[in-house]
Amino acid sequence: MPFLLLIPVFFPIAMGLALLALNFKERAQRQIYVSIVIIANMVMSIVFMLTLPRTTFTLVRFTDKLSISFKLDGLSIVFGMIVSILWVVATFYSFEYMKHEGKENKFFSFFTMSFGVVCGIAFSANLITMYLFYELLTVATLPLVMHAMDKRASSAGKKYVAFSITGASFGFIAIMILMNFGASLDFTYGGVLTNMALLTGHEPIVQIGYICAFFGFGVKAAIFPFYNWLPSAGVAPTPVSALLHAVAVVNAGIFAITRVIYYCFGADFLSGTWAQYLTMFMAIVTIVFGSSMALRENHIKRRLAYSTVSNLSYMLFSLTIMTPEGMVGGLAHMLFHSVLKITLFFVAGAIIYKTGREYVDQLEGFGRSMPKTMIAFSICSMGLIGIPPLMGITSKWLISKAAVESQIPLAIVGIAALIVSALLTTLYLFEIIIKAYFPAKSKEELAEANMDVKDPNGLMTIPMLGLTAFSVLFGIWPDPFIKIFELISYGAF
Amino acid sequence: MLEGNIILMILVFFPFAMGLISWLTGRGSKKGRDVLIIVTTAIELALCLVLIPFVGDSNDFHWHAFAGLGIHLRGDGFRTVMALIAGYIWLFTTILSPEYFNRIKSRNRNRYYMFMLWTLGATMGIFLSANLYTTFIFFEVMSFTSYVLVIHNETPKVIDASKSYVAFAVFGGLATLMGLFFLQARLGTLEMDAMIHAIETTGVSDVTLMWSCALVLVGFGVKAGMFPLHTWLPQSYPAAPEPATALLSAVLSKAGIFGMFVLTGQILLHNLPWGLALVLFGIASALLGGIMGILSDDFKKTIACSSMSQIGFIIVGVGMQGVLGHHNALAVRGSILHLLNHSLIKLTLFMVAAVIFMNLGKFKLNDIKGFGRKKPALMFAAGFAILGVIGVPLWNGYVSKTLIHESMVEFIEMSHGTGWAYGFKSLEILFIIAGGMTCCYMLKLFFAVFVEKNNDPAKQAEFDANKKYMSPALTTILIISAAILPVLGVIPNITSDGIADVAQGFLHGHSPEHAVHYFSWVNISGTLKSLAGGVAAYLIIVRLGMRRKQADGKKAYINAWPEKLDLEGKVYRPALLTILPFIGAFIARSLASVVDWFVLFFKQILFYKRGERFSPPENNEFGTFNEEQRPSKLPHGLSYSLILFGIGVVVVVYFIVIAFLAQH
Repeated sequence: MPFLLLIPVFFPIAMGLALLALNFKERAQRQIYVSIVIIANMVMSIVFMLTLPRTTFTLVRFTDKLSISFKLDGLSIVFGMIVSILWVVATFYSFEYMKHEGKENKFFSFFTMSFGVVCGIAFSANLITMYLFYELLTVATLPLVMHAMDKRASSAGKKYVAFSITGASFGFIAIMILMNFGASLDFTYGGVLTNMALLTGHEPIVQIGYICAFFGFGVKAAIFPFYNWLPSAGVAPTPVSALLHAVAVVNAGIFAITRVIYYCFGADFLSGTWAQYLTMFMAIVTIVFGSSMALRENHIKRRLAYSTVSNLSYMLFSLTIMTPEGMVGGLAHMLFHSVLKITLFFVAGAIIYKTGREYVDQLEGFGRSMPKTMIAFSICSMGLIGIPPLMGITSKWLISKAAVESQIPLAIVGIAALIVSALLTTLYLFEIIIKAYFPAKSKEELAEANMDVKDPNGLMTIPMLGLTAFSVLFGIWPDPFIKIFELISYGAF
Repeated sequence: MLEGNIILMILVFFPFAMGLISWLTGRGSKKGRDVLIIVTTAIELALCLVLIPFVGDSNDFHWHAFAGLGIHLRGDGFRTVMALIAGYIWLFTTILSPEYFNRIKSRNRNRYYMFMLWTLGATMGIFLSANLYTTFIFFEVMSFTSYVLVIHNETPKVIDASKSYVAFAVFGGLATLMGLFFLQARLGTLEMDAMIHAIETTGVSDVTLMWSCALVLVGFGVKAGMFPLHTWLPQSYPAAPEPATALLSAVLSKAGIFGMFVLTGQILLHNLPWGLALVLFGIASALLGGIMGILSDDFKKTIACSSMSQIGFIIVGVGMQGVLGHHNALAVRGSILHLLNHSLIKLTLFMVAAVIFMNLGKFKLNDIKGFGRKKPALMFAAGFAILGVIGVPLWNGYVSKTLIHESMVEFIEMSHGTGWAYGFKSLEILFIIAGGMTCCYMLKLFFAVFVEKNNDPAKQAEFDANKKYMSPALTTILIISAAILPVLGVIPNITSDGIADVAQGFLHGHSPEHAVHYFSWVNISGTLKSLAGGVAAYLIIVRLGMRRKQADGKKAYINAWPEKLDLEGKVYRPALLTILPFIGAFIARSLASVVDWFVLFFKQILFYKRGERFSPPENNEFGTFNEEQRPSKLPHGLSYSLILFGIGVVVVVYFIVIAFLAQH
């Protein structure tokens, strides 16, 4: 019964629209409604992902190559799982956080709809379906970015739309090229460029198509030079930054590029070409660029956003190695970075929510005032830096291993970039930790300055600490994930 | 998932668990916590002793898939010796700590003890590790947990010092990681005892191996305080509280040496260029540490610099292992023993320093001058440690320094008549000079604290009246730690050689053909020359050069180290904080400007009729093309719109034509 896959996609969209119409007066009612919808959808999507057969379900068929259809495979399960589980966590967090932002009804309806759209991206069986939901995601999340509706928010929103739509149009060019030269648009492990009669003699145009796809879909993965929307989108309420701009939207970009490289164009066709080197080079540039920008940014959320820019390119770099090992590294970093970065954003949100402070140098002595929050921040920061045995080291190890084994000279440069970026990451995250735990001000000054600084309540701290505990546990024991990623990357799952 | 000797795992993870428990306990009862940490370290030492019967190459523990690659611990002879050293020193400093922190009324003790126990676990992890990935994991953990120990006092000076501590630790750790990537990729394994075999089967070139190992060495060299990565050491050692300094100097620096042992004994075995490089770095560290030690007027800083200098001697020994190739028995045994001896001696010396500080709160020689008079226990401990470190016959330092020195002499004889012999002859002379320097700065400390009277007679009377300067427990451990030193030195053929026999297998060493005659005239006379030089240097440099007449006609010590000679302040910090950021910012700015230019260009085309536009302030922070300052200069009006329309049409037609041509 593959049509069941439609439920996790369209159920939240319908329920989100219904919420717009229902417009609850009581906050409690809405919270119950939203949590039922989100949890139900998580349960359904997980159950379906684990039980449904791997067959294609076609919703609409336009031509023999163009259709809207859905299908499960290993990669979609990984992406779907990450998103589903973190969505629930972020929902509970935003119940508390959104109390001070207002316009909750609108927020939660679009928040719910986006869930369905992201599931749509995860479950799509071909490039055109993914493209559809990819565009929808921009539309569905735009109200969330522009939530405050002041000048800054709408400016950020405009930027977000301009970048995303432009990117998607490049993606569309790639789809057209692929449609001409590929056997089909369905995602096939190893690529669809199997019909040599069509392909021969047209390699350069297909490679250009890949470049278009990479940078087009890469806009959501914040590849340089299309990174600019991500830090600006930090004006959105923090749950949005945490869930969408550290996990769902940006990982959708990574997911799309994984599909493009490994399931559409095919690693065999691309590896060793100028197209591979160009994209790898841009990923390397972004790695260092994002980290340096994070270091000079003083606003907590924007600092984390630039850190995301850099980390997303770790994944892109790993994917552009174009070996199965590279894909393992990319997927592992996608998972680990999601967990760590969403927690870091939760912490930033908790700080903004409780104190209204948004800048790094206002955090002196927070280690004492907000102990739970800062513990979560410190552990996840160290994970992101890659201090063993916490989470980040495993994925960086896998990426670097893939890079060395590929024997591409540029990949060695990439490892150096990873190392430089790790140093910069240490600087920009440890600056916060040191300020929080080893303040320069005296105890009395701090007591006065941080008089009203306290940990938030359980709705915020439990998600933070729970994810931190998860990151420690699976940092020490990442094997189950790595095994699954290896199966996927070798096309066996 | 877990298999093998579970004691090895407990040794590593028990302190981590107890760290948390002690932290929780300390929130309720400070007394209870103080007992708990001592019991914990005592159990840890007992566990190390329990390990002895199991010693052997099959005494392994695996935790598969820990942090990806899994950890692999082993309790063979060398690693057990290292674990015992760590356990012993940790127990003694932990007994010292509660009293010390009570006396100086330190804050944040709970935090200190938790991280102290975590550092213990990490250190055990390093010393017992059987593959380099395990070493690296615990090495990084140790760097960051010990950072909290260094920054404990939280004064501005300490915070500054700890910044350079953590910067070097991170830099070194990352360099090591990069080196490990290459080793893993080239050799396919990081298991220490599989590496030599892997080098043969994979046929990796020596050059590749050497620069991979050089990267790995950076991290270990930082921890060991090897020149030129030493600049954090003279800042951070004095900045940390004394119990922590004792750990840093006696144990944590040995983690760096452990790494060098692995590189030299398990990967680049008997490699001459590698060994030579290490010898040169070692001699440089020994000399520089010695010079800084002599010229300082600070008790603790002098001992800190002494650590750097003595570790330099150990590194020379490590390097000689490579230089001597298959005939490296003396170098192997000398470096192992000097590592052991230095740990034991520095434990005693830093405990003496702790006693001085908790009574006086100061370390400048002029302030503490005369404190040790009429305090026999303190003088006994300090005296024994000083005799040990300067290598007086019958004390332990003599044995190990003689071995390292003999190994150099051996190479000079082996390469008789070639250029190598002359080169190493000059290195040997430098080695002897560095030994003399040890004698010089240690005499300076001893005479200042225990012989000379304070310039202020009232203060001296106060010092002399202070009889309760340390508790009986502390007196006991201080005397034990000092009394061990001659045991290793009086009967070296039994004690020291015994330890070396157990440990040398790790470095592919073997016992020399005949027992070393430590007390032969050749060896003793060499040492006496070095000591005589040291005494002469003391008389000339310290007595004449480093004391100035004060207004009251008495002489006071001065800090003779030229402050301008500051490698970190003059080179490293400007490079890291000014030059590199400038280059980085320049490149990032150029890239961002290109993008900004395009954005601006398209904006001016699309929104050429400027209405009210909002630009958030953060947008104008970085880019070169500040949109607020550059209004559109493009003409407005119908003709301009037509031009744009025309351009659009041309592009579209061009595309259609191309598409048409491509189809046919």
